[in-house]
Amino acid sequence: MAAMSGIKGEDRERAIAGWAFMSPTLIIFAIFIIIPIFFAVYISLTDWNGISPPSDAAFIGFKNYRALLFQNGIRQTDFFKALKNTTYFALGVVPAQTIIALLLAVVVNQAWLRFKGFFRTTYYFPSITSSIAISLMFLFFYQRGGLINQVLSVITFGRWESVAWMADPRGLFHIMLEAVGITIRTAPDWVQAKVLGLTVWDWISGPSVALMAIMFMNTWTTVGTMMVIFLAALQGVPGYVYEAAQIDGASAWRQFRSITVPLLRPTLFFVITLGLIGTYQVFDQIYVMSSGGPAKTTLTVAYLVYRNGFTNSDMGLAAAIAILLFIIIFTLTMIQRRITGSEGDL
Amino acid sequence: MSKKWFALIVLLIIAMLAVACGGGGTTQPEATASTGGEDTTAMPTEEAVMEEPTEAATEAVPEEATTAATEEATTGATEEATTAATGDVIEMSLMGWSSSDAENVRLQEMVDTFNDANPDLHVTLNQVPDYDTALQTAIAGGSPPDVFYIDSFKLPDYVAANALMPIGDQMENADDFYPSLRDAFTIDGTFYCPPKDFSTLGLQYNTDMFDAAGLDYPTADWTWDDLRAAAEALTDADAGVYGLTLSADFARMIAFVYQAGGTVTDADFTTMTLDTPEALEAAEFYINLVTDGFAAAPADLDSGWPGEAFGKGQAAMAIEGNWIASYLTDNFPDLNWAVTEMPAGPGGDATMAFTVCYGVAADAANPEASIRLANWLTGAEGMAQWTGLGLAMPTRQSLSDGWLAEYPDLEPFLAGADYAHPWQFRPGFQDVLDTINAGLQQAFTGTYTADQVLGEAQEVGNEVLGGQ
Repeated sequence: MAAMSGIKGEDRERAIAGWAFMSPTLIIFAIFIIIPIFFAVYISLTDWNGISPPSDAAFIGFKNYRALLFQNGIRQTDFFKALKNTTYFALGVVPAQTIIALLLAVVVNQAWLRFKGFFRTTYYFPSITSSIAISLMFLFFYQRGGLINQVLSVITFGRWESVAWMADPRGLFHIMLEAVGITIRTAPDWVQAKVLGLTVWDWISGPSVALMAIMFMNTWTTVGTMMVIFLAALQGVPGYVYEAAQIDGASAWRQFRSITVPLLRPTLFFVITLGLIGTYQVFDQIYVMSSGGPAKTTLTVAYLVYRNGFTNSDMGLAAAIAILLFIIIFTLTMIQRRITGSEGDL
Repeated sequence: MSKKWFALIVLLIIAMLAVACGGGGTTQPEATASTGGEDTTAMPTEEAVMEEPTEAATEAVPEEATTAATEEATTGATEEATTAATGDVIEMSLMGWSSSDAENVRLQEMVDTFNDANPDLHVTLNQVPDYDTALQTAIAGGSPPDVFYIDSFKLPDYVAANALMPIGDQMENADDFYPSLRDAFTIDGTFYCPPKDFSTLGLQYNTDMFDAAGLDYPTADWTWDDLRAAAEALTDADAGVYGLTLSADFARMIAFVYQAGGTVTDADFTTMTLDTPEALEAAEFYINLVTDGFAAAPADLDSGWPGEAFGKGQAAMAIEGNWIASYLTDNFPDLNWAVTEMPAGPGGDATMAFTVCYGVAADAANPEASIRLANWLTGAEGMAQWTGLGLAMPTRQSLSDGWLAEYPDLEPFLAGADYAHPWQFRPGFQDVLDTINAGLQQAFTGTYTADQVLGEAQEVGNEVLGGQ
């Protein structure tokens, strides 16, 4: 309003009208977004159980945060386990979906490609399908006698040994280490040292087989959206740039590397940021497919929030985890922005 | 000119908000009365519940005019005020969960019977998926359903939150309830809510598979050794058939802990007792059945739960409660199976009792009417009608003979009531269950020993109990 006082006459009227027209959205935004955020911050400082009225909850300061971050115990172990799982999830899914989406976008953008509309629709389709429906479908695919095992069995001429994908808690790096003869029993003692609630051995587990199964599905569903974003950017690249490069004798690979990728850099960072936010918030697939199991290897931070808030009746702790998740995502996004900013200057 | 516009728009917005917020309270009674009770079971709150589990709960609840529970509770409140004067019908809601269509139909019949017999009350049945979330938000939002299910495992959380009105002793003939079930809903001497029904764990066996293997059927006299020997004899791993299906679930393994003579905590819930040799013996027996290859987890048999693996004939035995009976009848009608009591361990007989009660909120809108409803539902008439479905057993001793006459094959479940332990601990115990279940999953794949599983649970449990 202070800014408005300098405005005179008709401009002032327009400003008021503008605010008035925006007010329905602003009010709804405040009710459903702003107020809940502040409420969540407040709740995270209480011991609210999520059942009695919130006004009954006792204010306990930063106790929830201390339990999550600094105090040895199940809260800390679970939080860092969830953070570890989520980070592996992001490290796997974000690069995969970005690269595949970029390649798909370049392919369906080619002038020579026929049935473009068909391919674009097909690749985009998983993105607009309900993630609950997809998750249920993949649950069947991932059974021991399910489609994935059958296909693998056929292409390996029956040598493939069926895996109950969603029931296997072994970590990828643990499996790799085992292949070279290192197991928890043969590893040096320092892997048993506890860092932030987890042993070093646990930290380096890699994503479990069950988590990788969900990562694969998540990549498949999100690639379409990312592809459309890349496609929009690709269509903004003027054709004469490529023509000039062709005249200079640049190969297709050279054109992709020296023209497409640099010109798509802002989009690339946008896609990576979206991917990071999406993967750090992964919830619905976990909720439907694994409930955090087997052996908590698919427990993600967002799922831990739900679990504590509703199954364990500790809404204060759940809110604290949610706030920490927000801080993590915010920090990652800021780092992303830094990189985008400096790279953008090049 | 502009001022008029501004004022007009602001007024318009306020009016819209007022209508939106007031909708539930003021306009609903007529709507509810006109639609009646028939169509309310169909599609309650699926989206509402699934969509926003992490958002701040209290903001959401009042806005969700679609949530039947909220509507009903609000209407109840408004109407009660006018009832005295006009003699109108009190609208009430009964919130619960359901696992099958047969259950839905039977519940609705029950509610209809009650409504017919009580013209001054009108109860609407509200079945919700993801029940715990829905109930918790409804109570925290200050508009609880009039009567609702509470699992004995969740009871301590609700009692600790002072969310329940103690109504157990106001039930007619409250002494008729099985003492163990009264205990399951009694905390610190207060009998909070009357038990709705109960189930115990039993041993289900596939009679065809036993016949084919030439083995005698399991009996109530079986011991662990008999169970293990039969599981070994019935296993044909190459054919993908196992003697037994066991899930990595403490709610099943705990029965073996009690059978071994162990306990989970001391009687006062002050310290964990999973570090005892008895508990270790039970955990080793349970885990070894799987790691030795005589039992398999349902996931390894392409099944969601043991009942499915058993129904598909991939496991000759299963350890589940009464609920498996109606599931098998519905989904595997051709399966030949029977049930017997749980095997005895070194410490004797033991099984688990799972039970649910009808709760009334501490800030109930219609306390008297709610108590009347709970009383009828757990009374001779209501309970006989409900348990007549065979899904679970009556909680009144006086009704057990009638139930047994109707379901003689399920007698072992009822026999288990004599030595069953309630599935109940202390608030926050979910962390212990999660830890032990995660450990069991690791143990089933051979990466954890029984010792490690119990050790972690012991530690987490003491942390939870110590923090009370």
